[in-house]
Amino acid sequence: MQPDSEQKPRNILPDCIIPALALVFTVYYLTTITEVPWISQASAIVVSGLLLLSILAFVIRSAWRIRQHQETLQIEGTLRVLLGEGPLVGKRIALLILAIAYVWFIDSLGFTLITFIFVFSSIILLSSRDNWKTALKVSLSCSVIGYFVFIYLFKTRFPSGFIEHWLKGVL
Amino acid sequence: MIPDLSLFFGLLGEILGYWWIIIPATILGVVVGAIPGFSAANTIIILLPITLAMEPATGMIFMVALYTASRLGAGIPAILVNIPGTAGAAATPLDGYPMAVAGRGQQALAISFVSSVSAGLITTIAAIILIPWLSQVAFHLHSVEMIVIMLFGISLIATISAEDKIKGLIAGLFGLMIGYIGADVVYEAPRGTFGFLELYDKVPLIPALVGLFAISEAFVVIERSTILTKQGETHQQQAGWGPTFEGIRATLVHWKEVIWTSLLGLVIGVIPGAGAAIASFVAYQQSRLLSKTPELYGTGHIPGLIAPESANNGVTAGTLIPLLIIGVPGGATAAIMAVVLEYHGVNFGPDLFETEPLIAYGSFTTMLVTYVLLGLMILPLTRYFSHVMVVPTVYMVPVLIAFTLVGSFVPRAYVFDMGIAIIFGIIGYIARRTGYHVAAILIGVILGPLLEIYFLRALRISQGDLTTLFSSNIGNTLWVLLVLSLIIPGLKRYRSKTSVNKKQQRQ
Repeated sequence: MQPDSEQKPRNILPDCIIPALALVFTVYYLTTITEVPWISQASAIVVSGLLLLSILAFVIRSAWRIRQHQETLQIEGTLRVLLGEGPLVGKRIALLILAIAYVWFIDSLGFTLITFIFVFSSIILLSSRDNWKTALKVSLSCSVIGYFVFIYLFKTRFPSGFIEHWLKGVL
Repeated sequence: MIPDLSLFFGLLGEILGYWWIIIPATILGVVVGAIPGFSAANTIIILLPITLAMEPATGMIFMVALYTASRLGAGIPAILVNIPGTAGAAATPLDGYPMAVAGRGQQALAISFVSSVSAGLITTIAAIILIPWLSQVAFHLHSVEMIVIMLFGISLIATISAEDKIKGLIAGLFGLMIGYIGADVVYEAPRGTFGFLELYDKVPLIPALVGLFAISEAFVVIERSTILTKQGETHQQQAGWGPTFEGIRATLVHWKEVIWTSLLGLVIGVIPGAGAAIASFVAYQQSRLLSKTPELYGTGHIPGLIAPESANNGVTAGTLIPLLIIGVPGGATAAIMAVVLEYHGVNFGPDLFETEPLIAYGSFTTMLVTYVLLGLMILPLTRYFSHVMVVPTVYMVPVLIAFTLVGSFVPRAYVFDMGIAIIFGIIGYIARRTGYHVAAILIGVILGPLLEIYFLRALRISQGDLTTLFSSNIGNTLWVLLVLSLIIPGLKRYRSKTSVNKKQQRQ
């Protein structure tokens, strides 16, 4: 094992994302409670104060460690920490886009069809096009079982599209 | 009211005659408990037309069996895929999932089932014996005491973030702030809602849970071929029935842990509005505090799995007590039970145990029967459930994302909630990649609104006097216990460090 002094400083820019999000949200939150009665503010002010103190402690600790060359702040390598390396980067981003599309289109296409499309395309994305037969079997099973269990048996109010309307008429 | 134990056990034969309703309700309960969003409360709501058409006692037996089984079912995905089926199982993955990843999923499931069934049986009988005293608990615990109980749960944030306290605090407090989104309970003033009407009623819990655990985990595990580690895969392939028996044995060895955490769950369950999530967080925190090996918690430590599972099953019997004795439901499912029974003209109160013994005593007897049935039915399935772990992630991840996202839609039927799940998924993913504990964020999101409700009530009742927080004897005792529970781990660490230093100096 190398001695501490020879170790490469750790990039802590990715570690700053959660405190930054927390800080932005807290500031926004505090702007929304300026006109409510103090009793409604009290609990949030205490918690936000503690949160801001914790973020301050994080900043001071990081600054001290940067001075000691134990940590560093670099844009380079930040994406690698967050998304991984090689084909994983594209897969993660594409999977996120597919998940957002799933939510976006579920209201218009309905649960059954959008689940089939999402599961099929996600399996192809994560494996390969050669895997289309298994992808088809899994995605068809998911949407058919999902329809019968949740919509037909449990009468769950899942978003309906033309398939659900058609099946309702048939069944 | 003096409980009649002979009547309670005497009803066993009669309740067993309802096997035709208990068995399907139990199976359904396990299934809906295991799917995030499909809680017992939601399922009973969906099946209201059926339960309302039944005789009141039959309906109650159906609801109690389903509720009991759902509590146990929630632990299954929490252990196998790091996705708690309900908020009550949110502390289960802390040690259950690391066990599963290491190829000990089958053992973890057996531990979870045996703890749950034992806790259920213990607390059901304890509830019947202690009804006269337990029914008084809610009268003595007001907003001030509840604030301290919430803080016990919140202090778990510090416990689970032992590696980096500052990061743990940031995650937990960020979660608390997110929990404060929405209109406050006293003045209905909207706060931090980004202008979305859907957030006026607080951040919905299931989408937060789905996002922080399921979605974020799905994005992390795609870099592996299965959820298991290489060592875990080997372990899993070699597993026969051995791990199930090991799990049963390990739980029985920790029988004291099962008893005290389940009784803790029972007492917390009696408090209206407290619920399984608080019980499991408090039990986990206290179990770690009292442990001789606290550093093992979070790494797949058996008592760390037993504590939350016993506590959240202990809550089940507790929630029925205020409902049956004073007509105040202890939780969401009990509230729906109240609606069904009131529809049939059932009057709650101590007299119910004399006028409608099949409903009053029968509810607890049903619970007992359901737990025995669960023990017999589900333990043999541990070996097969654990095979979920070897499903390749290329198939598991898309299915998980699709069904958990839809699960987040179910409680309120808003597509908006699916969007919330994705946002929490992104936050959870970043947190996981950068060393922030997602469970700390979730504890904040779950307990934040509850803490605020009790805080606002306490201040409202005392007309803004902050000294009210220290105005009751029970509250002050709880404050002292809270402070001690925060100080003791530090003192223990200090003592062990100094003893190690002294030993080194001697050498």
